[in-house]
Amino acid sequence: MNFQWKSLAAAWVLPTFCLGAWAQDTVKIGVIQPLTGSVAYNGQAFVAGAKLAVEQRNAAGGVGGKKIELVIEDGQCRPANSVNAAEKLIQRDKVVAVTGAFCSSATAAVMPVAEKYKVPLLSGVSSKADLTEKGMQYFFRSAETDRLMSKTFSKILADKLQLKNVAYIGVNDDWGRGGVEDFSKDLSGMGVKTVMKEYFDHGATDFYTLLTKLRAAKADGVFVAAETQDGSILVKQFKEFGLNTKIFGVGSWATADFIGLTGAASEGVYAAVPYASSMPGERNKAFVDQYTAAYKEKPGKYGAAGFNALNILMEAAARAGKAEPEAIRDALRKTDYQAPNGRYRFTEKGEGYGFDVVLVQIVGKEPKVVAESPTEKP
Amino acid sequence: MELLLQYLANGLVTGSFYALSALGLTLILGLMRVVNFAHGELYMLGGVMGWWATTRLGLDFFTGLLLVAVAMGAFGWLIDRFLIERIRDQGEEAGILLTIGLSIFLANTALLAVGTAPLKVEAPISAGPAFLGPIVLTKLRLFAVAVCALLIVGAWLTIHKTRLGRSMRATFQDPMAARLVGIRTANVYAATFAMGTVIASMAGMLLGSIYSAQVSVGGLVSMKAFVVVILGGMGSFAGAIAGGLLLGVAEALWGGYVATGWVDIIGFALVILTLVFRPYGLFSKRAERA
Repeated sequence: MNFQWKSLAAAWVLPTFCLGAWAQDTVKIGVIQPLTGSVAYNGQAFVAGAKLAVEQRNAAGGVGGKKIELVIEDGQCRPANSVNAAEKLIQRDKVVAVTGAFCSSATAAVMPVAEKYKVPLLSGVSSKADLTEKGMQYFFRSAETDRLMSKTFSKILADKLQLKNVAYIGVNDDWGRGGVEDFSKDLSGMGVKTVMKEYFDHGATDFYTLLTKLRAAKADGVFVAAETQDGSILVKQFKEFGLNTKIFGVGSWATADFIGLTGAASEGVYAAVPYASSMPGERNKAFVDQYTAAYKEKPGKYGAAGFNALNILMEAAARAGKAEPEAIRDALRKTDYQAPNGRYRFTEKGEGYGFDVVLVQIVGKEPKVVAESPTEKP
Repeated sequence: MELLLQYLANGLVTGSFYALSALGLTLILGLMRVVNFAHGELYMLGGVMGWWATTRLGLDFFTGLLLVAVAMGAFGWLIDRFLIERIRDQGEEAGILLTIGLSIFLANTALLAVGTAPLKVEAPISAGPAFLGPIVLTKLRLFAVAVCALLIVGAWLTIHKTRLGRSMRATFQDPMAARLVGIRTANVYAATFAMGTVIASMAGMLLGSIYSAQVSVGGLVSMKAFVVVILGGMGSFAGAIAGGLLLGVAEALWGGYVATGWVDIIGFALVILTLVFRPYGLFSKRAERA
């Protein structure tokens, strides 16, 4: 009887004061990722990493005595679907923070929604540089931007691979085009000639036309901005086509799946990645062991991104001391998180920095770290 | 010149793949008047089953292909007997809604069962490069083109030279008359849908061994197949082949000389032009549409 009274009171009183989040025994965090479509595979990896982080935190007592609950929505990497997902998470599920929405264009669409409802939004993936330049007060990013990657890696690439003529291939979206533009600008600045710039659509399967052009361009290195699904098919056909140009890519290239799908063709490929399971350090080793135990595969870039994003949010919630979006936002600004891959902090604009990025080469089906460098405060 | 030859070769190879992908759709559309929006998903199932047969069961490619053909044939038969049967002779809308529903159901069931990761179908021969003069192809691609040709010829012979094919054509010309002369039309409909399903799924497995099989590929395959069918005309074999090759070559040349980033624009432009100037397809005879 007593119990019924309480829940009745909760049902009536709490919504009136808009304290939905307090009434529950769990603290809800929203996740918007592409679970279907051509980057679904990477979105699922993010969710896997996020779940691992939450399980660990809950096993250690949760946040302020409450368990964390993830509410996961499929944004399909599309702006419209991601906005719908954000509205649903904030309005119906009353989440205290949102992480998402993978593709930069989808994240850009979700940002005003988070701003409107004053709920912190953390993206662990979207890398388009101008996202943090829009004056948003509730947006944070714990991912490397294309600019940051390009600045850190162009020099290493030009020196290490001795490149003179480089061709650029990117997936036809904001991220792919941004990556191609940034790298070609920085490499040109170091005297490397651009011989070709081409794009392909998400989900393309046949790259022979592109490869014919590439062969005619006579490049000694080719830069590719693509995710696992598109990238693995491209590299496979690249080797079928009999090309021996050095490949260096951005996207999730140093993952076990990429190597498994590409097979022998992945040998020797360079990848500029913010995370590789073979990065040195005790914290990373522990993370890799836990992830492998949970999912029977080593974590890739997106598994780590999900793990880090959730840990950053949960630590902020713990520091805030209450499950309230505003307080969590304030706590996020003071983030100093020890990740498997370095130490995350945020600038006033919400731009993450301090974590390490690596250049790896796939040798014997394992990503081998060639160079590692921490990202500086932008 | 060398470049042009390579582009043409690329286009002809992808074009024959498009032709094969579209064949099942054009058969079902031309013979049964069912617009099969689940076509791409049937193709996808072929690829996923091919992956399962070659990597999980450890079968070789051809045994796997046979298994896929038999299983998907039975599946197509059941779809017709239990689903399409109920909406026969109720106009085209019912069929459209039914197959759209089916495509969503199949895509999401497959998503639940095997997830989003691209799946590798073991190829029967190596994918190393093969040179024809200055042109690079792979043995695997040449092999796939040969299989495409075989499947297309096989389907044509079935429809034009066998007893089953004759009863198919009779049924679709006039179901009532066919029933009167003793043809079991229910079986003929089911056999036609099963045949379309088998061709779609074999195409899925064959092309899965060249690219990779993916659960989310259905929509794109359906789209290209519809382009080919509209170009070639419904139910026309020659149309499917010519439409496929035309699309493949046009895409390759556009990609080669203009930009690879906007290659899908070609299919849509061709469809609009065809619909404006030759609405029944480049190769369709009006008389075929009773």
